[in-house]
Amino acid sequence: MEVEKGKTFKYLREKRDVSQEAKDNLKSFNQIKKTILDLLKESDLTVDQLTQKIGMPKNEVVFYLMSLVKFGFVQTGAIDDMDEYFSYKLKK
Amino acid sequence: MQEQIKEASYDVLVIGGGIAGGEAALNLANNGFKVLIIEKDLSIGGKMILLSKVFPTLDCSACITTPKVSEISRQPGITIFTGSEVKKIIKKTENSFEAEVLKNPRYVIVEECTACQLCEQACPVVVKDEYQFNLVGRKAAFIPFTIASPKVAAIDIGNCILCGACEKACPPKCIDFTQEKEEYTIKIKSVIIATGFKLFDPLMIPRYGFGLFKNIITSMQMERQLAPTRPFNTILRPGDGKVPCKVAYVLCTGSRDATIGNPVCSQICCMYSIKQAQLLMGALPMADVTIYYLNIRSFGKGFEEFYEQAKGMGVNFIKGKIGRISEKENGNLILRYEDINENKVKETEHDIVVLSVGVIANRDAATLFPDEQLKLDAFNFINQTDPLASPARTSIEGVFVAGTASGPMDIPDSILSAGSASAEAMSYLIQNK
Repeated sequence: MEVEKGKTFKYLREKRDVSQEAKDNLKSFNQIKKTILDLLKESDLTVDQLTQKIGMPKNEVVFYLMSLVKFGFVQTGAIDDMDEYFSYKLKK
Repeated sequence: MQEQIKEASYDVLVIGGGIAGGEAALNLANNGFKVLIIEKDLSIGGKMILLSKVFPTLDCSACITTPKVSEISRQPGITIFTGSEVKKIIKKTENSFEAEVLKNPRYVIVEECTACQLCEQACPVVVKDEYQFNLVGRKAAFIPFTIASPKVAAIDIGNCILCGACEKACPPKCIDFTQEKEEYTIKIKSVIIATGFKLFDPLMIPRYGFGLFKNIITSMQMERQLAPTRPFNTILRPGDGKVPCKVAYVLCTGSRDATIGNPVCSQICCMYSIKQAQLLMGALPMADVTIYYLNIRSFGKGFEEFYEQAKGMGVNFIKGKIGRISEKENGNLILRYEDINENKVKETEHDIVVLSVGVIANRDAATLFPDEQLKLDAFNFINQTDPLASPARTSIEGVFVAGTASGPMDIPDSILSAGSASAEAMSYLIQNK
């Protein structure tokens, strides 16, 4: 098979299947990302507030939220009066 | 698998590209020997490159490691294979060995990657970032970490969905999914084993609740939170994103404990916990930090002063053995412990608990020599046959050990051990010319 530089993924796609786990993982992340970003469009939210709205364990919300901060979709906002919880907002 | 097995020859094969392996390789190459470093990870630098600061000087770890790994990478006498593993080593003659090496594909042409990270931005897949000890995500097309060496992207093919987004985004078109595993036969005259150590897995102590209670973390997770390239904007509880106020350290987690099969002292957990406690008090000035210990072993140069400095800063030290950790509804943790000085069982509440995990032997090298016996000591570290006069010598002539592959030790001792290994290897090579 002739392989065109810049399109070599097609070569590997012919040779191996993408695992179902990887596909499911992507689907799940995209859904969670959309949900978090949609909620943050409405207002700045804390982890606790996001957890209540999404219905997902807090530690998972922290993981996805921090990943979205790392990838530049979300930024850290203000901390509450008790200096305990930050709010998070969309990065503009 | 490529059909043709590639061949090459070097004076010394160094297994492991951590601080000990790198130092040993550099010493050898600076003296004119040709060295090959085999590193299983995607970057050299080992565990040290992931640390925040070093004890007792509180020098920036990256500021020490980065120039060192850069020097190792640029030294013309050193060849580095990352993402590679030694399958076996056969002693061919009295003074020569042959190693089978497997180089795993990175799916990126190392020489052409500019580390622009556009592939990372384009990649839609997010998985747990092992370099941040799973506290945050990373992409399937990724640069392992900011100061990785080589600073080159890699594709995590197990999690890649082969969408091609990374390839489309790559300006120099250096992503190459046609790469395959490569087998090498390497002829060498000597071997240095610098495979380092493994961290104790706290899941082996269920009564501590690690994994079950999300606000119990390991010392390496806290180390990452304290590093400049940290996963969060500040120190946070991974269980709910709260800024912790009361922090507890549990020393000797998986060390000095025959019940879990590791009776040896890690040599480092006292001092790195004291270091982290001091850094935490800088990062969170209002925080209470308590260290639960069995004995404080401040045996090295400046260590006792460092311990006294922590006490002076307000770190609480409680001589106590932790019996059990339980979780409250708000995510806070209750430590039930025996206060050894007061001879009482007590309970105290903390926001976050850091388990100061110990060091266990990395047994990867033990099976590399099918025709020879690489002896291990009682704790499965590589046995030093003459620890006083020839500390790098192993049970196989021409095979030397460097760093924590021979037992728990701190960074300065690892570097000293690497110096010893390189000096002994050089002496061996000169004598057997």
